[in-house]
Amino acid sequence: MNIKKILVANRGEIAIRVMKTAQKMGIKTVAIYSTIDRNAPHVRFADEAVCIGEPPSNESYLLGSKIIKVAKELQVDAIHPGYGFLSENADFAEEVEQNNIIFIGPNSDAIRIMGSKLAAKDAVKDYGIPMVPGIDKAITDIDKAKEIGKKIGFPILIKASAGGGGKGMRIVEKESDLESQMKRAISEATSAFGDGSVFIEKYVASPRHIEIQVMADTHGNIIHLFERECSIQRRHQKVVEEAPSSVLTPELRAEMGEAAVKVAQACNYIGAGTVEFLLDENHNFYFLEMNTRLQVEHPVTELITGMDLVELQIRVARGEKLPIAQKDLGIKGHALELRVYAEDPLNDFLPSVGHLDTYVLPEGEGIRVDNGFEEGMDIPIYYDPMLAKLITYGKTREEAIQLMISAIDRYLVAGVETTLAFGKYVFEHEAFRSGAFDTHFVKNYYSPEALKSAKEEEAKIAAMIALKQYMEDQKILRLPIQ
Amino acid sequence: MNKKFEVTVDETYSFTIPLADLEQLDTTPTGPLKYHVLQNSKPFKAEVVKSDMNQRAYTVKINNKPYHIKITDDLDLLIKEMGFALGSSKQIDSIKAPMPGLILDIHVTPGQSVKEGDPLLILEAMKMENIITSPREGVIKAVPINKGTAIDKGQLLIEFE
Amino acid sequence: MDSKIKELQDKIAKAHLGGGENRIKKQHQKKKLTARERVNYLMDDGSFEEIGILVTHRTTDFEMDKELYYGDGVITGYGTVNGRLVYVFAQDFTVFGGALSETHAEKICKIMDLAVKVGAPLVGLNDSGGARIQEGVRSLGGYADIFYRNVQASGVIPQISAIMGPCAGGAVYSPAMTDFTMMVEDTSYMFVTGPNVVKTVTNEEVTSEELGGASTHSTKSGVAHITSANDVLCLEDIKTLLGYLPQSNKEAPKTLPFELGDEVRDTLSNIIPDNANKPYDMHEVIKGIIDDDSFYEIHKDYAENILVGFARIGGRSIGIVANQPMYLAGVLDVNSSKKAARFVRFCDCFNIPLLVLVDVPGFLPGTDQEWNGIIVHGAKLLYALSEATVPRITVITRKAYGGAYDVMNSKHIGADLNYAWPSAEIAVMGAKGASEIIFRKEISAADDPSKKLAEKEAEYADKFANPYRAAQRGFIDEVILPKDTRRKLIKGFSMLEHKEQVRPNRKHGNIPL
Repeated sequence: MNIKKILVANRGEIAIRVMKTAQKMGIKTVAIYSTIDRNAPHVRFADEAVCIGEPPSNESYLLGSKIIKVAKELQVDAIHPGYGFLSENADFAEEVEQNNIIFIGPNSDAIRIMGSKLAAKDAVKDYGIPMVPGIDKAITDIDKAKEIGKKIGFPILIKASAGGGGKGMRIVEKESDLESQMKRAISEATSAFGDGSVFIEKYVASPRHIEIQVMADTHGNIIHLFERECSIQRRHQKVVEEAPSSVLTPELRAEMGEAAVKVAQACNYIGAGTVEFLLDENHNFYFLEMNTRLQVEHPVTELITGMDLVELQIRVARGEKLPIAQKDLGIKGHALELRVYAEDPLNDFLPSVGHLDTYVLPEGEGIRVDNGFEEGMDIPIYYDPMLAKLITYGKTREEAIQLMISAIDRYLVAGVETTLAFGKYVFEHEAFRSGAFDTHFVKNYYSPEALKSAKEEEAKIAAMIALKQYMEDQKILRLPIQ
Repeated sequence: MNKKFEVTVDETYSFTIPLADLEQLDTTPTGPLKYHVLQNSKPFKAEVVKSDMNQRAYTVKINNKPYHIKITDDLDLLIKEMGFALGSSKQIDSIKAPMPGLILDIHVTPGQSVKEGDPLLILEAMKMENIITSPREGVIKAVPINKGTAIDKGQLLIEFE
Repeated sequence: MDSKIKELQDKIAKAHLGGGENRIKKQHQKKKLTARERVNYLMDDGSFEEIGILVTHRTTDFEMDKELYYGDGVITGYGTVNGRLVYVFAQDFTVFGGALSETHAEKICKIMDLAVKVGAPLVGLNDSGGARIQEGVRSLGGYADIFYRNVQASGVIPQISAIMGPCAGGAVYSPAMTDFTMMVEDTSYMFVTGPNVVKTVTNEEVTSEELGGASTHSTKSGVAHITSANDVLCLEDIKTLLGYLPQSNKEAPKTLPFELGDEVRDTLSNIIPDNANKPYDMHEVIKGIIDDDSFYEIHKDYAENILVGFARIGGRSIGIVANQPMYLAGVLDVNSSKKAARFVRFCDCFNIPLLVLVDVPGFLPGTDQEWNGIIVHGAKLLYALSEATVPRITVITRKAYGGAYDVMNSKHIGADLNYAWPSAEIAVMGAKGASEIIFRKEISAADDPSKKLAEKEAEYADKFANPYRAAQRGFIDEVILPKDTRRKLIKGFSMLEHKEQVRPNRKHGNIPL
């Protein structure tokens, strides 16, 4: 199976990320875009580009059949879905396969199984994988939810069965909040995924979010590429990730890796996938779910293993054997990632949409920016507000952290608020530096005031410099203009 | 002659700076309009990038980040005190969109009484549903938007009596 | 030397305090800024240079020699507004209630003379209880010295008066002879005789505000051109207004840098309603023609059937006179004719090109108008436009009927470019009236006269209710698409930039006052 041309069914930084590897491998690339993205960098980066529709995702990037039609017209051999959009849509994967185009990802059955939390748990139950207490059937009934909530005890977590990315996810601290939160979760899930059913499970206190990257080929080989720690989250969405985790022992790492490989086996997995676990304060881990796509945070794994995950995906899709065995893989150095979102950390991380008046990326050894924007661009309201991922790599965790802080200072954005300042706060925070943190980092340690005081210090100096300049300016003799 | 100035930064921070404090600021020029500042032994890079003396508006970069500064003198303060400044109503009588987005649902109608914290409408942006709640108790006067419409940042959503 | 320097510094500090801190506080309590604060706000930071700061009065009667204040109740000098030279006097109510003395008047005259010699605008900030009674006739002489200079400066430099407190008696005639009178709401009033005298003479009960407040003068009398909610907004208005004006009659107004695009404005296509009897807002047409947010309206609340004001088009400052169909169908009457005529004359004095937008059904009929002399007042506008030598462009958007067509900057009275939109109806009168006269016999003889009338009306409308007859004769230079209006006007005013027209030599014309 030869792949000469790939269509990337995505936008932003991930589209560019995938195309870069494709180009490196001598493969032609096709971009798709919505009308509002005509000027986006991914459109210019590709060898060919096709407009797929209007700005709202469901009129463009989610139009599977239309994308396949374009792919056929342009004689595309394979489609890479990136993350989000159609990446975990089994029907789309199936339709791609039926049209004799390679879907760069697992087969549709695996997506379908792992896409439903119920089916996923069912599939792995014979493999001895530990699970969080909860229900094994997605529901929409509120009375039932109350009943279950009482049984397993509050706090509980409501999760969209088809979800991801924090959409349709709600923590319920007490029974009286259940009804309204449940309604919102169902409504969000319905509009985001077209499926309103939700799961309810015990909410693990003080959890860390650890995930294992797995890679499987079509010849029965499955490897894992160690873990990523993604515990720093806001609004249930990851914002800072690192590899390796600062808390895993080699033994625990091996144990979790093996568990992840088993999960992949359970669904006959092919390609790149991620098995997510919760790790409680006693270092017990629970299987959470499997993401059947390339993750946003995949670069940290690439940096510590030296592997190009997109390249591995394409090779597997071509039917090749994995070029490396588990025993040959090792961890070298430490990598961090900060997601740069157009959000205002001083205002509850609400999207901060606008125009990028200034947009300058940091450069240098050990710094990688997977970026989808340019200075002068508007940030469209229709999509995820992530601008870029800032990734640093060092020999040690400390080195990576220091490099990250200096890179944040050199990452210049004006026109919108971003998570950069928040990131700096995290990387400078003792809890993060010591490794003693969990997914409640934001709740426990962060308040907008903390960011404000640092900003206020700078603001005051700016004020004084300006006043000084004003006093100087006043001294100058001025004459009327003629 | 002014002895102190009120200085507002990014319309967020406000400082009263006596002229005497300027003397205390440890700065050394590193280029035209560029300074190295030491404040509490912490170093800062400063650069004046825009000056408008007449409007008393300046833009200064600190560690590469731009800050927009407005200087207020005694006369400006007096004018403010006398209530001549425009648009300084304290009572919240309207809610404007905090960001652009899509109106997913509207829970209130004109004439309806609401309590603080009641959900008024749901604004979807970036695929997240944000519940806009009532900032105070009151009666809704107008809802000049419709369900399903896209709105701009700052657009009027709800008016109170 | 040090003590001498100290002496000077003390004197200046004292002068800066005006009538003292208590009086300053009182001024603030009345929601008024002090004269010095007003001047500082008006002028660019640090640009103000005071002239005559140490002047004091010379009166010895009534022990006045024991009450001396540096400046004598008026601050005079020069400075810049947005970088351009401006002369200013500001009466200081904290000193003798701003009352005008001989020396006070001398100070004002001194800078008026300078302003005329140099050729730069004069701004007067009035806040005065009236004449300094202790001085008697010397104070009256002072007023007349100022009046005389107002007249000499008229048409030479722009003169702007802001009434920011009382202005009564003879004092009102200085503002009245300047080009623009601005008033601050609630804190200012102007009248020749105050409520007390009114009561004695005519037995009429009236408050100062009713008699001569800002709202009275901006709606009823038309004495005030601009009203502002408070001192600061009034000073901002002065700055805005100055932006449209040249420094003197020897200059043209400053053109702002403007980057031209295609300058097509589609919004103009949908303003005129299909039904010719429906009103529309002429502001919309103006907005569609000019640079964004550049319309500065004069006499906004007075004679609203005509709009006048300054605007920018492609960065160029112009004066606009436009009928307003929203109000009395845009008809010409006594007040609107006077309002427009004065504005036209101001623009002509100071080389500001004129744009006239026409939608006029004619003159307002009735005894009220005739008895108040619409003949003479209508003639003022006709005279003013006929006399104007600045570039003049006309756009007829809809109706241009009868004598009003001639008056509203028609080709015949010297307009340089005359455009009409396809919706224009240029005729002696409306189709109905015209048919009634022309076809009177036919209609009365018909079996169904109303049907016949409708028939004839349609026939007449078809023939004359359009711009093409006028275009055939060259009375209209071009019938243009509404959306192209801005393009045509920018080009037109640019083409006319160096227009020169010499009037016959005479002392001055005799405008029907």
